[in-house]
Amino acid sequence: MNTKWRFRGHKECQLRLVPGICKILTILKTNKRMPTTRKTPKPTGGDEPVTNQLEEAAAVTTKKTQPPSEGVDPKTQPATSSGIESVDGFTLQEVTQESMAESFMATAADFTVLRDIGEASFGPPPDETVETVHGPDNRIQITSTSIYPWRAIASLLITAADNSMWIGTGWFIGPHTLMTAGHVVFIKNSGVPGRDGWVKKIQVMPGRNGGTLPYGSVTSSNFRSVTGWTGSGDENFDYGAIILPTKLGSTTGWFGFGVYSDADLTSAVGNISGYPGDKPSGTQWYDARKIASVNSRKVFYDIDTAGGQSGSAVYRIVGGNRMAVAIHAYGGATTNSGTRISLDVYNNMVAWKA
Amino acid sequence: MNTNPGVIAGKVRTADGQPVAMARVYFTSGPVALPDITMLTDATGSFSLSAPVAGTYQIGCTADGFAPAMASVEVKNGQKAQVELVLKP
Repeated sequence: MNTKWRFRGHKECQLRLVPGICKILTILKTNKRMPTTRKTPKPTGGDEPVTNQLEEAAAVTTKKTQPPSEGVDPKTQPATSSGIESVDGFTLQEVTQESMAESFMATAADFTVLRDIGEASFGPPPDETVETVHGPDNRIQITSTSIYPWRAIASLLITAADNSMWIGTGWFIGPHTLMTAGHVVFIKNSGVPGRDGWVKKIQVMPGRNGGTLPYGSVTSSNFRSVTGWTGSGDENFDYGAIILPTKLGSTTGWFGFGVYSDADLTSAVGNISGYPGDKPSGTQWYDARKIASVNSRKVFYDIDTAGGQSGSAVYRIVGGNRMAVAIHAYGGATTNSGTRISLDVYNNMVAWKA
Repeated sequence: MNTNPGVIAGKVRTADGQPVAMARVYFTSGPVALPDITMLTDATGSFSLSAPVAGTYQIGCTADGFAPAMASVEVKNGQKAQVELVLKP
């Protein structure tokens, strides 16, 4: 059942027939002596959160970054100062002229009101097609997937409403919560009868390496997204979350995330590691490259990806911390793209983090 | 988002005609930006992917134990296109 979150203050409180109790509850929610995390009005517009569960209240903080955790097992891949992961055989590639040209096209237009960022940024020339691996495939397989941060990334096996099965990628932001693309948890305008809507279930396999599941698997049917995606199918709002019934993220660790300026993002290297369908089943692959451009809702890059990597974290390394800046979702002509962690996206992520 | 998308439907089979279940089918290129997701074939080797606009799409297919296969599919607006992918060891 698709049910919008319902925290709307005491006027709509189910306890409104008992005004005294309702007023006390309202005071408690706004008491300045309470911790910095507080109940506030949730994002509106396309970022209004929705869930397939009954109802939940949103917690919103005033901070703009959330820290990562390396989990209970101290094994961690040391972060480099160059903004990329230290992976044998991997070298950082320069941003291509094609992607820079495309980035200019992307930033020259106002994308905040466009419904199809692909058409807007790439145009639909009839003889030109888009690809998700640009030029040579620079992805490197990660085999040490029981080490942070790789173990905080999960292979997803998705069962849609019509029982069709899909693969995608998610990443922990807390003990119970993984972020992913909106189209991983909610299928929109598929054109296939019975497929649209919340998916039935997702099997989450953190740190999967082929047939090896170092942290086992957990299945969830508890999802989050926003009305901009579930209602409008707008690519600019293509993000969602999976809530696990266990605290598996406490073991694997999780990514930090934050809201960063355009200047911060366009000077940063973006890193993506996920589970593509074009490689041996269940294997994790990594690539990194300088972020090409941004707009208010999207981040563009020519980091190589393939189908199955939807939902991956696009992250930067800041002071040794892995901090997500976007949720990977689409392949483009010379630039792939992800949903930017804007303030509204960030507030929803904080509310969903458990 | 196009509310009347086309659909690319097809089957994956071996050279001797046996259906390949759990093969991974995904877009490698298309006329617009596409979701980076992969579908798994069912027990009959069938799959169906949404094609948001008319145009030419490249489909990739991999399954453990087989060489990757590719197919090019022309999709008209709102219509279903059929394709068959044959995997070889």
